[in-house]
Amino acid sequence: MAAIVTASLEATVVEGGATRWQGRASSIAEVEAQLTRIWTSAAEEVAHTPMSEAERSRAMGDPRLAHMLDAPEDVRVRTRTSVLTLVVVAPRPETTERAIDAVNLLAGRHPSRAIILSPGDPDGPPTLDARIVASCHVSGRGDSETCTEQIHLRVGGETAQHLSAVVAPLLIHDLPVVLWWPDEPPIGRRPFRELLETVDRLLVDSGSFGADGSRRLAGLAAVIAEGDAVVHDIGWMRLTLWRELLAGLFDHPLLQRETGRCKAIRIHIARPSGDFRTIKGALFVGWLAGQLDWEIAQPLASKSGSDSLFATLREGKHDIRVEFRPATGTAGEASVRSAGSLTRVELELGRGTSAIRAVVTRQQDHLLATAEWNGAPIIRRPGRLEAFGEAPYLGEALDLTGQDRVFERALARATRLIGG
Amino acid sequence: MKSTTRPLTAPGTTRVVAPRRAVARRPGTREQTVENPLRAGLRLERVPDPCTIVIFGATGDLTHRKILPALYNLRRAGLLPPESTVLAFARRNYSDEQYRVEMKDAVGRFSRVPLEPAIWDDFAAGLHYLQGEFGSVSSYRALEERLQSIDVARGTRGNRLFYLATPPSAYAEIVTNIGKVGLQKEGKGQGWARMVIEKPFGHDLDSARQLNAELDRVLAERQVYRIDHYLGKETVRNLLVFRFANGIFEPIWNRRYVDHVQITVAEDLGVEGRGSFYEEAGASRDIVQNHMLQLLSLVAMEPPIAFEADALRDEKVRVLHAVDPDWTEERVRQDVVRGQYAAGWVAGKEVPGYREEDEVDPDSSRDTFVALKLEVQNWRWADVPFYLRTGKRLPKRATEIAVRFKRPPLMLFRDAPSEPEPNLLALRIQPDEGILLRFASKVPELGLDVRSVNMDFTYGSSFSREAPEAYETLILDAMLGDASLFTRSDEVEAAWGIVTPMNETWADWDDRNELDTLHFYEAGSWGPEASDRLVERDGRRWRRL
Repeated sequence: MAAIVTASLEATVVEGGATRWQGRASSIAEVEAQLTRIWTSAAEEVAHTPMSEAERSRAMGDPRLAHMLDAPEDVRVRTRTSVLTLVVVAPRPETTERAIDAVNLLAGRHPSRAIILSPGDPDGPPTLDARIVASCHVSGRGDSETCTEQIHLRVGGETAQHLSAVVAPLLIHDLPVVLWWPDEPPIGRRPFRELLETVDRLLVDSGSFGADGSRRLAGLAAVIAEGDAVVHDIGWMRLTLWRELLAGLFDHPLLQRETGRCKAIRIHIARPSGDFRTIKGALFVGWLAGQLDWEIAQPLASKSGSDSLFATLREGKHDIRVEFRPATGTAGEASVRSAGSLTRVELELGRGTSAIRAVVTRQQDHLLATAEWNGAPIIRRPGRLEAFGEAPYLGEALDLTGQDRVFERALARATRLIGG
Repeated sequence: MKSTTRPLTAPGTTRVVAPRRAVARRPGTREQTVENPLRAGLRLERVPDPCTIVIFGATGDLTHRKILPALYNLRRAGLLPPESTVLAFARRNYSDEQYRVEMKDAVGRFSRVPLEPAIWDDFAAGLHYLQGEFGSVSSYRALEERLQSIDVARGTRGNRLFYLATPPSAYAEIVTNIGKVGLQKEGKGQGWARMVIEKPFGHDLDSARQLNAELDRVLAERQVYRIDHYLGKETVRNLLVFRFANGIFEPIWNRRYVDHVQITVAEDLGVEGRGSFYEEAGASRDIVQNHMLQLLSLVAMEPPIAFEADALRDEKVRVLHAVDPDWTEERVRQDVVRGQYAAGWVAGKEVPGYREEDEVDPDSSRDTFVALKLEVQNWRWADVPFYLRTGKRLPKRATEIAVRFKRPPLMLFRDAPSEPEPNLLALRIQPDEGILLRFASKVPELGLDVRSVNMDFTYGSSFSREAPEAYETLILDAMLGDASLFTRSDEVEAAWGIVTPMNETWADWDDRNELDTLHFYEAGSWGPEASDRLVERDGRRWRRL
């Protein structure tokens, strides 16, 4: 493909089947102008590129009848199949890096416009510095290509207080807008609320919530309750394999009816050092409670003489004991990934003479689900370990369009469980 | 309040059909007694019951290339419950261990994802081999015993999926013997029994009827899953979504707007060492009777009343019944082209002609290419020709359905130097599954030049997930008891009803030595000239792919 460099554009780079255009701007109007220039230049390039044989054949009929066609030259339109606009707010430089990496990884698969906002010093002078990158990738097998745009906006001063005003003119008409807030979102604060009004879906990672996680979790539940946006949570997605494995145990005929006979739940949570992060555990128990209609009788609380936290759930007249037990271990150990991760989930079930134990544990490189009936092992199912990085979850979240009712129920109960 | 009555459907909204179960439950099939409340919302919301998959013809090519890799990938994706067991049944003498080694190699070579040793070991623990003769009842008694011991050892709960991956000549024998031992029986506490059958289902109308009758003696129709792997392909399934989930195409999907439809199934390969098979089949039986008529019925069908097996298949059969079956000799001569490839060049390689291939009669008149014109005689499609063509040793591998729309009623841009081509919608099935729309556009210049441009949408560009292999989709559906993508007996017979008279006429011509009825084409070309004439006669032309 011939490289065409327009004066206003920085460069056109062609590498490994991908074409890139870059530009800079210092106002929203300039960003829009740059995008127009980029796509005009891209279109010219296509019009002047001789078509491949496959492309010609698709546009034209049989060569033996080509004279009947009387079409002097074919024109191919560079189609931009966009599926959404992704807005990422990343105040810290390292989050920005992470976000750009994740967005790049997904570029070929989720053709979209990504707007990455890095709000800077709110007390400085109002600034806006935009870097625009558009790239088109030719798909592996064929001659069709996908195009994506990335707009990285560094804003400071007053401008950083009005993020929604920055974003609104850059949204692609009528496509879903996803707001990804990789760090702890300032739920309830004005810039966040405003931004929330312009988007359809909110993606957060409850696993990154720190000390005041319970308050943020409650804030998230409020966002859902008020119907401001569809909420997805990477922290919750990381529990999917745990849920699948535990659910799978109850497909077994011996266990099919046992979900109604739970007596105790023990969750082991990684706590390499410092504070005890309970959000993942709470979401997991919240999920069980939501699906099995358990009430929260007593929220999590500590007892003297124990490192664990205890809570009580209620199903009808029966109480279910819940224990969150901190699992220590060296940070290098694979079983302890990061603070707050689950390492073991254990359910005690059964009434009368039968005692059932359903367990999912994190092994070195996989998860393992087992069930015991009066001490005798009856099921043993390994499952792959969940992915560590963010990109696969971001990809999955972008595929999800509707509300996740199961998550919403789990979140509502998790909030009550940790006393939010 | 203005009105006390509420309209059933608010204007501008879609009526949502009451959610029927995707799987039509019928009396006699065992339902899972307790729903698992923890499954809600998970990716694996529908996981089949554990079962034993009994593969007849387990040492054959199909098992190596398709069935085992598909089962392994289902297991890998967690869609196959860990209790599930594969019992391979064939004549050759193997131990479990020998068979596992051979299959590990096969899966390693043919699976779409690389083999992961840990998952393979787990899968292979449930892979067993049983040596037996298809014709001997005692082998089936041994099979019954083995199945019972597997139920106990692995917890497969009496569920059986029989997979006939043998040459079709063995079908009748296997089904009859299964019936004699009673392996097909279902009932309370016994689990389900289903049978997957590979094409071809017969070689003409009579043999198809006979095979259906033999199946019917032993199995209920709902237990029979006739595989046409084309129906498991993502794009074919997407055809239904494209037509019935989009509001803008259905209003123009009829004789008023559509000029004609072209369906192409082109292969660049030759018979690839399957000469003796191909001598019996030919393109008409191998491709037209099943794949092409399936595509035709999906494109032409009326909207089904629900997205479920029988509702879908009812509509598909209706299309086949509406295809004019009146094949007089004159019409076959006029509307069907039978071709055979001669030596030529494909993709830069010189290839021999069909008659020079191994195991092929040097005077063979077998069709390696068929082009035909069909009409679907109903209100929607009357007078809209459907042109079908398929062949081996064509320039490339390509499958697509092209719907060509009528020209605008009045050409306003007469001074334009070129007249644009009429609109065209192409549904590409392979390779590069996608949708292409051709429309006219003004060339940005001072004058008024109008040109055709293609808007090309490729699935790969919008979705991040890798599409599963057709066999994965279909085997999983069979285990879930969803027959939507399988062919029903009346469908098979209706399709043979279209192809058989054609084949019989050709046989008559061969007997009378009418040599000019077989058209030769150079390998690497788009078929014989007669095929072009078939379409040009009507003032149209084949799309070049």
